[in-house]
Amino acid sequence: MSPGVLIAGAGLAAAGVAVGLRKLETKEIPSVGILSAAFFVASLIHVPIGPASIHLILNGMLGIILGWKAFPAVLVGLALQALLFQFGGITTLGVNTLNMALPAVICYYLFGWGIRIGNRRLVFILSAFAGGSCAVFLGSVLVGLSLYLSGEAFLPAAKVVVAAHLPVMVIEGGLTAVCALFLRRVKPELLEGAYVPKQSL
Amino acid sequence: MCRNSHCSQRVVRGRHLFFCLLFTVLWLVFFNAPASAHKVTIFAWVDGDTVHTQSKIGAGKRAKGARVLVFDSEGNRLLEGKTDEKGEFSFKIPKKDDLKVVLKASMGHMAEWKIPADEIGAVGDVSGSTVPEINVKSGIEEAVRSTDVKPGLEAVSLTRHEVQDLIDKSLDRKLAPIVDMLADATDCGPKMTEVIGGIGYIFGLVGVALYFANRRKKE
Repeated sequence: MSPGVLIAGAGLAAAGVAVGLRKLETKEIPSVGILSAAFFVASLIHVPIGPASIHLILNGMLGIILGWKAFPAVLVGLALQALLFQFGGITTLGVNTLNMALPAVICYYLFGWGIRIGNRRLVFILSAFAGGSCAVFLGSVLVGLSLYLSGEAFLPAAKVVVAAHLPVMVIEGGLTAVCALFLRRVKPELLEGAYVPKQSL
Repeated sequence: MCRNSHCSQRVVRGRHLFFCLLFTVLWLVFFNAPASAHKVTIFAWVDGDTVHTQSKIGAGKRAKGARVLVFDSEGNRLLEGKTDEKGEFSFKIPKKDDLKVVLKASMGHMAEWKIPADEIGAVGDVSGSTVPEINVKSGIEEAVRSTDVKPGLEAVSLTRHEVQDLIDKSLDRKLAPIVDMLADATDCGPKMTEVIGGIGYIFGLVGVALYFANRRKKE
């Protein structure tokens, strides 16, 4: 990665984190923490598929539940991974945060409406699936883009990254849908908190 | 009213706790072998005038067809190559200098290994010096006698080079498992304690955030 990309990534990530923190309310802090922990652990789980082994990312789930607050959650997860396991490293922390959290926010805006419609089960499942897989797709495109900006040829780099993440997209979509359904049944306020405009209590 | 809301908040917090425990327990039960997320490692060792490298992706997966670049202490690129099926790549030492071996795997993953000049220097001195022929006949005879093998064995005279070669080969063979173990040890994935520690850190951060949020509210 070239220094320009690293600095730009860190700057944009910092802006995203600032927006996320501004939107963060006291009562939402625990759910951000839990999802941050889920994100932190998810990357450690390896699923061997064919020759390669892949790991879950869960940024789509963070996105549709947390919205902009996915930025601080992702930052914390990645920072701990970098500090404890030397994944990624501190210098690439900003770019990595941006690459994972920006798709989450995009998916929040793209598919949030599907989750807001409380009574349609199919729409709910489909938009959760789309949110989960789309976030991974956008994330891998962003990784390809940042490699391109650092001097690698875009198409080969992006192709490799996207191809490697195709199975993850399917798995994550399914997992996000299952988790969203589970949350809707057991703890709907976690989903609604981000979506339903706050009614006067 | 105030008491009510406090109560419900406590219930919500209890549920949160339940949830996080459920999540962690589920993860840990279903995937009790946490492996590293695409962490790439390269391990290089000097053997005679050659440097062998072994590259891995994740825990134990060999990095096939990845680029290996070799730099000197001033950052000049000396040579580059690709790893084979086993993730290994060997090259002749191009220069007596601090070498930096960099692995570039796909998707921007990188790893490096440094070989200090004195490691190379020591090797170079031995292989480079021309030594006079010495007779190790008596030593071998003694060895033969002491082990009580066939007494008719002819006395052999070996050059120092040949002795060096024999020792090197035998050492290589005997040390191979240790080198492999070292290569494995350098990329041991995250341990359970670290994973749990990380989760603990996150909950700790949540606690700190809640503390400050509550204090701000009181003020």
